[in-house]
Amino acid sequence: MAKNTNASSKDINDEPFVLTRSFDAPRDLLWKVWTQSEHLGKWFSPKGFKILAARMDFRVGGIYHYGLETPDGKPMWGKWEFREIAAPERIVLIQSFSDENGGLARHPMAPDWPQFMLSTMTFAAQGNKTKFTLTWTPHKATEVERRTFDAGRASMEMGWGGTMEQLIAYLAKLQS
Amino acid sequence: MSPDRLSSTFAALADPTRRAILARLASGETSVTDLAKPFDISLPAVSRHLKVLEGAGLIARGRDAQWRPCRLQATPLKSVADWVERYRRFWEESFDRLDDYLKELQRKEKKHGRKKA
Repeated sequence: MAKNTNASSKDINDEPFVLTRSFDAPRDLLWKVWTQSEHLGKWFSPKGFKILAARMDFRVGGIYHYGLETPDGKPMWGKWEFREIAAPERIVLIQSFSDENGGLARHPMAPDWPQFMLSTMTFAAQGNKTKFTLTWTPHKATEVERRTFDAGRASMEMGWGGTMEQLIAYLAKLQS
Repeated sequence: MSPDRLSSTFAALADPTRRAILARLASGETSVTDLAKPFDISLPAVSRHLKVLEGAGLIARGRDAQWRPCRLQATPLKSVADWVERYRRFWEESFDRLDDYLKELQRKEKKHGRKKA
């Protein structure tokens, strides 16, 4: 692999993007609904999405290949390749956009978005509840992909922290 | 918004100084000199960042040669926000469904358990 000698890439923030949620269910049950296709199909996608396909091969090296149709009729294919499975605590997988045949694809709206994302899912038992954490980092990413992810992560954080809403409200006022 | 346009917005936002400049402009029109103050970088460096932001349509500059205040432009920022919001919504709404689904499963389990007992 070529060494990265570009000094300007030092300012890229490679922090992961993290999402956490506490579920009112014991850890074993949460593990089951994340790892079995028939359960995943019941909740993985917002209301109004249609499931086009879902094929699960849950083992290290195995793949979950799925297809969804958005409410406005656009297909969305994705692929998870399992790298590490430590039941019922941790799953590490490589996530990528895909096509109908299980090939690789780019994000349709943001072609510079990283091709591969390393996703780590952890399940922490807290009595009868489970704290779930999802962490994304770009995997084998080019400098452009890393920058795009950095921008996306920053806007997600801005958006989630309410800053983006404030900005938009201000801008709307400015333009009216 | 076209993928190319979204990419150029992303590229412009992919720099912490440029994001800080945008956040600063949210409180109103500002001159380049005032914009440069809080940053530990030279005026020409700030100008280069502003050029990138202007190229991506994220800011507009006044015409006056002496006083060229920078102003935020809403449209591309809104597109990125929408894009990010869709992403967030996908997971949040999935998790809401998962909440309901877990409740349903646990209700069934309880019922089943009582029958067996």
